[in-house]
Amino acid sequence: MTTPAVDLAGVEKRFGDLVAVRHLDLEIEPGEFFSIIGPSGCGKTTTLRMVAGFEDPTAGRVSVSGRDMTGVRPYRRPVNTVFQSYALFPHLDVFENVAFGLREARVGKAEVRARVAEAISLVQLEGREQSRPRKLSGGQQQRVALARALINRPDVLLLDEPLGALDLKLRTEMQTQLKDLQRTVGVTFCYVTHDQGEAFSMSDRVAVMNLGLLEQVGTPEDVYHRPASLFVADFVGKANRFQGRIEEGSSGVYTVDIAGIGSRRVSGPGGLPSGTEVVVVVRPENLRAAPTETRNGLTATVVDASFQGAVRTVRLQAAGLGELTAAAGGAGQAPAPGSAVSLTWDDDHAWLISTGDGTP
Amino acid sequence: MNIRRHPVAAPLSFLILLFMWVPLIVVGVNSFNTQTIMAGWGGFTTHWYSLAWHNQDVRTGLKTTLIIAVASSVLSLFVAVTGALWWRRASPKARAVYDGLIFARIILPEVVFATALFFLFLKIHFSLGLTAIVIGHTVWNSAYAAIIVQARMASLDPALEEAAADLGATPWRAFRRVTLSALMPAIIAAGLLAFTFSFDDVVTSVFLQGASNSPLPVVILGMIRFRITPEINAIGLLVMLFTVTIMSMAVIFYATAGSLGRAGRRGSMLDMYR
Repeated sequence: MTTPAVDLAGVEKRFGDLVAVRHLDLEIEPGEFFSIIGPSGCGKTTTLRMVAGFEDPTAGRVSVSGRDMTGVRPYRRPVNTVFQSYALFPHLDVFENVAFGLREARVGKAEVRARVAEAISLVQLEGREQSRPRKLSGGQQQRVALARALINRPDVLLLDEPLGALDLKLRTEMQTQLKDLQRTVGVTFCYVTHDQGEAFSMSDRVAVMNLGLLEQVGTPEDVYHRPASLFVADFVGKANRFQGRIEEGSSGVYTVDIAGIGSRRVSGPGGLPSGTEVVVVVRPENLRAAPTETRNGLTATVVDASFQGAVRTVRLQAAGLGELTAAAGGAGQAPAPGSAVSLTWDDDHAWLISTGDGTP
Repeated sequence: MNIRRHPVAAPLSFLILLFMWVPLIVVGVNSFNTQTIMAGWGGFTTHWYSLAWHNQDVRTGLKTTLIIAVASSVLSLFVAVTGALWWRRASPKARAVYDGLIFARIILPEVVFATALFFLFLKIHFSLGLTAIVIGHTVWNSAYAAIIVQARMASLDPALEEAAADLGATPWRAFRRVTLSALMPAIIAAGLLAFTFSFDDVVTSVFLQGASNSPLPVVILGMIRFRITPEINAIGLLVMLFTVTIMSMAVIFYATAGSLGRAGRRGSMLDMYR
């Protein structure tokens, strides 16, 4: 097995009474595009700052490329950071901003010129070498920050919500560029964001954090289709929830008695005993609303439909089940508000989450 | 009603400007006037400049003034920069107290500080003289310097030093290459401003000079007490030109400092003049 690029073992961080990160175990593989997502205050930025060395863990150990980082100051760590505010040096031009790390490492003049030129062309900023950061657009500043952080060839590049300040269109463009860049340089990226769509589109694996706890680690598909907790299910996308109880089953496929619907086959994590209270999650795009009534039971009334281009989202009210959401392709006729529809989903599109006993 | 278009507005502004500038123009013109009593134009001469240049009192006064101005500017900058570094990490309450002390030094009349220092120095048997004047000037000069340096400091991203550390800079290197360098335009502007203020100060100097040599403005004051000679005009014009040059440099550096930072403008609402 290869040495992880980043290894967090039992890491905990307290600020006074506040626990920012609770007992975190996490391994990031070399060359991986890894994202940590979660709402603000979930501890994701604190985690990143502990890897960078700006915060010391209260307990546990941070290792980078197999080296224990305890007591190692930020300027001695083989990691570099792209800051949320970019933190470009206002008194230095683009060239000197990018060259900063090389100058600190006392690299020779000729090599500085060559490597800065290489880094600047990597982020497509040729011709702007002499500009001060304030003369650049947000997207360009962001690319300077990237070039500056990559020039020391770090083992791990840490990115703290680097696209947060950009507008939507630019953000989408930068996502593609970031992914391409990561593939080109092959450096391990550890990316922190509250935007799950952004994380999904770029990452090999994502970690979801909430209230200082790691909720789930997995591929974007895992996290989206097989959420480990209700929090994850809701955080990474819209989820229709149905209360139920496991009747029987094992090794990942169960028969669940869903309240108001009846027995259905549902996938889930292995090893849950019969009688377990569960919530069955069905993503809106997997919930089909057909205008004619079919045999198997579940009907609902259309509240309204909203058209978003590629998809159309339909809000539904089902007796005893509350509000549900279905999403379908944007083509075709929108269902009229007030009309009755029948709802169906494929068995392998439902996923159950154990809520233990009694939790709603 | 538009005040600017009022028929009285333009002539009134003109008169006010006239009253402000005519004395300065008269000083300038008379410095080249051969007529000693300055009642009319007697012809062009540079004699008064040569007289002023060879006046031993003026020379000593200029030297004293320069020493005081340089020393108090350097001290003011030291107070302002260290203060700004502390201010950045201080609690909001501590900041408010610190800012209050700065504004107090600007708002309170100079004569109050001068008197207070005078009595303090007598009480603690600190001899009056050059050092006393330097301390006196630093008391209020450091307040102006602090405002300018702090405005720039506030506009700097707190993550800059972390970014420098992240890129391999030790804390000292990060301070020198990032914080201090980014503050430099403001530091230079503040230094020049402090220098100018100290250069033309009379009140504090008179109170604290004791038996030592008088700085130039006090020398000039002493000269006109008895008799106004065209020599005074020559000295006056030179001091004026010198002060304006330094002030312009300060303004230029300050403008540079402002345009570098995001919130750099914050400081420009504060008057540059006393």
